[in-house]
Amino acid sequence: MRLRAEYSVGPDLRFLSNLDMMKLMARALRRARIPFALSKGYNPHIRLSMGTVLPVGLWGEREYFDLELEQEMSTSEFVEKINRTLPPAIQVKACIQIAANTRALMNSINCACYSFITNMAIEKLGLWKDYILQQEALIVKSRGKKKNVDKNLRLGILEIDVNRWQNFAIINIWVTNGEPLNVRYDELKDLLMQTGINEENIVDIYRSGNYIRVNDKYYSPLEKVK
Amino acid sequence: MKDKLFRDILPQVSKPARYTGGEVNMIKKDWEEAQAKMVFAFPDVYEVGMSHIGGKILYGLVNEKSNHLMERSFAPWPDLEEVMRRENIPLYSLESFRPLGDFDVVGFSLQYELSITNVLNMLDLSGIPLWSKERQQGCPLVIAGGPVVFNPEPFAEFFDAFLIGDGEEVTLEFLDCVYKNREMARDELLQELARIEGVYIPALFQVEYKDDGTIRKMFPIAKGVPAKVRRRIVQDLDQAYYPDKPIVPYMDIVHDRAVLEVMRGCQRSCRFCHAGMVYRPVRERSVDTLKKQAAAQLASTGYEEISLASLSTLDYSGVNPLVKELVKEYGPQGTGVSLPSLRVDAFSIDLVNEVQKVRKTTLTLAPEAGTQRLRDIINKNVSDEQLFSAVEAAFKSGWNSLKLYFMIGLPGENEADLDGTIELIKKVKAIGDRYSKRPVEIRAGLASFVPKAHTPFQWRAQNSIEELDKKRRYMTRKKHRRIKLSFHDSETSYLEGVMARGDRRLAVAIYKAWEKGCKFDGWSEYFHFNRWMEALQECNIDPDFYNLRRRSYGEVFPWDFIETGIDREYLVEEDERAEKGISTLDCRQEGCRDCGVCMALGVDLQIKEGSANAVES
Repeated sequence: MRLRAEYSVGPDLRFLSNLDMMKLMARALRRARIPFALSKGYNPHIRLSMGTVLPVGLWGEREYFDLELEQEMSTSEFVEKINRTLPPAIQVKACIQIAANTRALMNSINCACYSFITNMAIEKLGLWKDYILQQEALIVKSRGKKKNVDKNLRLGILEIDVNRWQNFAIINIWVTNGEPLNVRYDELKDLLMQTGINEENIVDIYRSGNYIRVNDKYYSPLEKVK
Repeated sequence: MKDKLFRDILPQVSKPARYTGGEVNMIKKDWEEAQAKMVFAFPDVYEVGMSHIGGKILYGLVNEKSNHLMERSFAPWPDLEEVMRRENIPLYSLESFRPLGDFDVVGFSLQYELSITNVLNMLDLSGIPLWSKERQQGCPLVIAGGPVVFNPEPFAEFFDAFLIGDGEEVTLEFLDCVYKNREMARDELLQELARIEGVYIPALFQVEYKDDGTIRKMFPIAKGVPAKVRRRIVQDLDQAYYPDKPIVPYMDIVHDRAVLEVMRGCQRSCRFCHAGMVYRPVRERSVDTLKKQAAAQLASTGYEEISLASLSTLDYSGVNPLVKELVKEYGPQGTGVSLPSLRVDAFSIDLVNEVQKVRKTTLTLAPEAGTQRLRDIINKNVSDEQLFSAVEAAFKSGWNSLKLYFMIGLPGENEADLDGTIELIKKVKAIGDRYSKRPVEIRAGLASFVPKAHTPFQWRAQNSIEELDKKRRYMTRKKHRRIKLSFHDSETSYLEGVMARGDRRLAVAIYKAWEKGCKFDGWSEYFHFNRWMEALQECNIDPDFYNLRRRSYGEVFPWDFIETGIDREYLVEEDERAEKGISTLDCRQEGCRDCGVCMALGVDLQIKEGSANAVES
């Protein structure tokens, strides 16, 4: 039996690496006595695969993992049990059963939304958004493995919206993920810095979602399982 | 404080998960409700400190079994330290993010002599005065425990108290006393604490020296303070507290697994071994207790590996049944068992083969010396035949690389012994090549011998840096294919030697070295030998006095006032037997050797699973 779960990672756990997160999840599964399946071979590990890596320093609202079980178990029971053993800052919010041949998360998520909480006026950000979307090229220096080469982020920016939250204004930016163009959150932040938003204006950054984008439509990995 | 850290500070530093707390099974008690408030301070980074069993025991004990409270703090890596100093952020505890100065007791775990500079740095980052005499009423009591405090004297002036021996025996008593007398003046409180067995208050002792620099006498200067401090000892490990819910760190730490302490103490009587002397006698836990502890720990942590820890786990009388039952019970869930220390014999390899269902990586064996003559001197009772049969068993069953541990600079060592070490490694390699398709690689680690207090070699001179370097050059003059020798840094060993048998006159130099920027001295990238030598010189201290001198049996040592339970006569006899090259066998097989510990401390050897040597029978 294969499960796909959506979970959130709170700000307290923003400094965990992907490996830390996998370990945390595996240990929570053991504590919860979930009947997980193990890989074969000398060094058996839980058949758990995570979606795209949540960058160190960010928290996430909608992250995903797939898990194989050795025995049947209802998804509601799974959610209840795992949430009891997970740290409070991380909670599974939804879970569905998926077919054994469903494409792996890593290969199907192709889009992410990064959210920048700012202390700026929403009108000003509206103008900023229009400016960004009008550009044909937005060049920043790349980060990550291949550092410091010119990278046109405009090609990877799919959509932007700006909205109000309490006293803050949030910029949500949907970007392409993985091949052919992977837009990183720190590159987006550099872009903000280059286009009139200052470090002091950014109160927090998080990833608000991961999506499977098909024909300009965004699907949650829980919706798109074929 | 926490908000500022998470938002502005931690994103700037490497490995921020070291500093966030909030791990699974962390205990955060109500500050106002708690009686005495203690922070367990470990003078190294989180990954190292969180791997330490003693800390897990004390943390659980204080928080679960008393109304006192214990939180944790570790040495910040220099990148964070820089930001903290710039932004005026004091060193804080990981539970409540309070500065260390808010606690009643700051308790350091001293596992390594050279971690003292990190202690000073942590106190300084907390705004706590570094010298005991400068701490006023209302300032935390700064205390320490751990193996290093069996000679606490070089650090005496920095600490208000030392707890000597098994921490779970004395810590609660100490905290009870601190809480009960919380209104008392600081000096009076210290005198009160000095009455607790196992508590040493350095300010209440005075030392007089002879003209030659050795100690004339050391004595208490306050009434009612005992002249000797006897170490505390757990009589029965089955009755002792052990945590069922240890903290599960988020980040990778050095030993990231569930741990069972199968026994405490080791009686193989290796003459160089500090732990083997100061933790006597062997006290085992029963298989039943250990199985219960394993079940509880795995249920509360979700760990995928369980390690059987002790000074010599293959000597545990119940190792066979314990390993078999753990593998049977937890193997199907992919939870493995690991044995951290191996004995050099074929049987050990068989047992490891049985449990280690993981990839066969590197196997480590410790013959310690290259010739039988030298092994008899240091009382490492391993023969060439045993080593070769272990090696053969290992290669036969598919291991393809091997690591061997040796020491250089041992008493009585000569060139023939150094040649013997190389020959031994070559023979091991030849055995490997016979069984492996590809030529095998042998790595050998060569530590420098540092004589330690309370051991039969406490009278011996340590090799100088020049002697050690000469030996290294001698051994590496010829290259051998696929044999890799790595030597412990001789300058670090030299300084370890100074601290290991030092006295309280060293404190000024330690302080000066810290002022010159010394910290993380156990990390080669931060070790600055020249700064240490400058500091010693500026304080007119000749470090050679502490470690390059053969001491007479009549000399009074700075650590003599600490009663480990072992008779001085026994140590002298062992040293004399070493001189003659006579080995001494383990009292579990050969009958009592009269070391004195059982009699002095009113304890017994505790072998829980029948025969003391179940493994071999």
